Amino acid sequence: MNKITKFVNNASIKRFRFWFQIVAFFIIIYGGYAAIEIGENLPTFACPYLDKPGGTCFLMGLQHRFTLPFDQFISFRGLAIITSILFFLAGFVFLNKAWCGYVCPIGTLQDWFTKIRQKLGIRYSNYSEKKFKKLKKIKYILLALLILIPLGIANSIPGVGKLSHDWGVPFCMVCPGRTVLPIFNGDFSQLTIDFSSKTKMVFTFLGMAVTGMFFAGAFYKKRFFCFFCPMSAFQFIFKKLGLLRLVKDGSKCTKCGDCYRACDMGIREIADDVENKDIVKDDCMMCFKCVAACPEEGCLKVNFLSKTIYKATEEGFYKRTK
Amino acid sequence: MEKERIEKVKKHIRTEAALEAGQVLKKITDNFPDNPEGMKYFYDLLSRQFSEEILPKNGKKLIGTMCVQVPDELILAAGAKPVRVCSGSFPYDNAGAEFMPAKTCSMIKAIMGLFQVEDFREKFDMLVIPTTCDQKKKTTEILKDMGYEAYSLAMPSRKDDDNSRYYWQNSVKEFAADLMKKTGNKITKESLKKAFDLKNEARYEFRRLFKLRMKNPAVIYGKDAFLIANAYFTDDIESWTAALKKLNDELEKKVEEGFSVANAKVPRFLFTGSPPIFPNMKIPLLVEEAGGLIAIDEVCSSSRLLYDMPSYDEQGLYDMIPAIADCYLKPCTCPCFVPNEERKDKISNLIDMFNIDGVIYQAFSGCQLYEMEQKLIGNFLMKKGVPMLYIESDYSPEDTGQLSTRVEAFIESIKMKKKSSAAKKEENKKDKK
Repeated sequence: MNKITKFVNNASIKRFRFWFQIVAFFIIIYGGYAAIEIGENLPTFACPYLDKPGGTCFLMGLQHRFTLPFDQFISFRGLAIITSILFFLAGFVFLNKAWCGYVCPIGTLQDWFTKIRQKLGIRYSNYSEKKFKKLKKIKYILLALLILIPLGIANSIPGVGKLSHDWGVPFCMVCPGRTVLPIFNGDFSQLTIDFSSKTKMVFTFLGMAVTGMFFAGAFYKKRFFCFFCPMSAFQFIFKKLGLLRLVKDGSKCTKCGDCYRACDMGIREIADDVENKDIVKDDCMMCFKCVAACPEEGCLKVNFLSKTIYKATEEGFYKRTK
Repeated sequence: MEKERIEKVKKHIRTEAALEAGQVLKKITDNFPDNPEGMKYFYDLLSRQFSEEILPKNGKKLIGTMCVQVPDELILAAGAKPVRVCSGSFPYDNAGAEFMPAKTCSMIKAIMGLFQVEDFREKFDMLVIPTTCDQKKKTTEILKDMGYEAYSLAMPSRKDDDNSRYYWQNSVKEFAADLMKKTGNKITKESLKKAFDLKNEARYEFRRLFKLRMKNPAVIYGKDAFLIANAYFTDDIESWTAALKKLNDELEKKVEEGFSVANAKVPRFLFTGSPPIFPNMKIPLLVEEAGGLIAIDEVCSSSRLLYDMPSYDEQGLYDMIPAIADCYLKPCTCPCFVPNEERKDKISNLIDMFNIDGVIYQAFSGCQLYEMEQKLIGNFLMKKGVPMLYIESDYSPEDTGQLSTRVEAFIESIKMKKKSSAAKKEENKKDKK
């Protein structure tokens, strides 16, 4: 047993994650061909616009379900919202936010872009933390909108009336998952602007713009899109239920900042917060690179059901930096 | 005539400095039994600290540094040799007092004396001085005025916000560029990686020693640990690491054999404050000669020197240099930073990790920052319930007698406390039975 823990703690999390992500990527994109169907309310971008994905993204269903007249809230249709959230949670609790860091195909794609950039020796760009903090609120606005707009379709808004059905699945229209992932099926049809109505035109145009920013951003800032992802915001609400946890023992921390450097999402608290045990912030994707970068014995730990499965060790740190 | 007289005085100071070093080394080796075999290398090296044999001028550029915050990985990567020139010599301190203000701290005076007496203009290609305390800052200018190639490495006075972090990263980047110009060698990601590995190996051994010092009963005296770190100032990093590895192996073997230099009843101290630099081992020697043990320290000339380890995410200079910069800023507990809460946390952790009974706080008279922070640390320790002895001193041996009385009294009081608490524990055990 000791040998196994030692082997795990000395392991390179980067390599492990690289292969895990590849497998997860193929399951999500092509899973349907192998008759794999993980579930309908996955807490990750398993895009329904794909030919045969290995599951379905929770957010699309959520938008459909919220296209609901107010008087039907207390009915089976209303109940469907709750059951879908329960199904979402059933998957979510196992990996917690590691769905982002290990499974999400959009995240994986961005990591591949980073790899390409590194190979080319191109530097990443730095942004001042303060400015970025404000931008990061966008994900909560997107989350609110993707619920409110469908409600506006089914219910009349005073002065505007009901929104047309062109407003359906508003987030999907701007999500890079819809435009980019089908490319892996050889399907470029989503990369177009739909001129059939004004609303559709605006939405598809926005979608194209976001796709452009997605590519450009991913190249210069690690996990650029994830800062604005409403899925990440929605997951964060339930992070306390997660069985997989990232915990910190502040008394062992020297604030050296190695973890902060390793963090793709630039979460400062990971290094500077020595008070809280639970340091998972809304942007955290539980990639656990911070744990691998920590030289202090047992300062950062990954727990599953309160059992430590991976932790920072001095020996592991040396092995990995060599 | 005048020139001859000056040469005579300089020669006299040099002789005195050599004498002092010899005397201190003799004290360190002769007054203590069972010095580890592996320490011989360090004793020998320190007896010839700034000599031609230790710092030969054989084509390699010598870059003098002051303060722990100078990233010597960069100097190594540029194919030069970093030498920390902070001095602890009393004769040089005296020489510096001739032209420095009266209230300057001993270390600054000794550095200035050293650079005045020894003509190091040819020897050092550059002297790098971070803008830590006010005295070090002005030292840069005075050294420049004396004809030295002094370089001011701009440091922020905060470490907890990103503005300071980027400021420091940029200043380190500029330093790297200037180093390349000075040495004519390019810092590449390969050469930096090599330097990085070299220093991390040194850090690895240093941490091994750190862990060995946790053993109670102890296997090594604090005075030896200070010397090991001091030797790093001038030694070649590779030979230093090899020597320390040998010593660590020896100590590990000794632990297995059940050997110790002090029994578990000996009071264990944490030493903090102004850095003891060889040959100024006054206070550590007083403590250990009086029957105490410096189990660990929190000073920039010893345990702070090589503890923190950088790690980078991407192999490219654009990520490696900032990673190195971060490691010298963020975890640093130098009192030149505001706020410096980390120092309290660190001291508190060390007290728990090393089973510390008391804290010895040394401040050089004139070292304003350490003098002032003494109050904060003192209050903090009072709340924690750990006694602290505050000693304000300098390099002169004059106050040794008076200080030894204070140190002895402090050690006695702690011994009493230890005894009574041990007795209480016994009683509690009996009561429970």
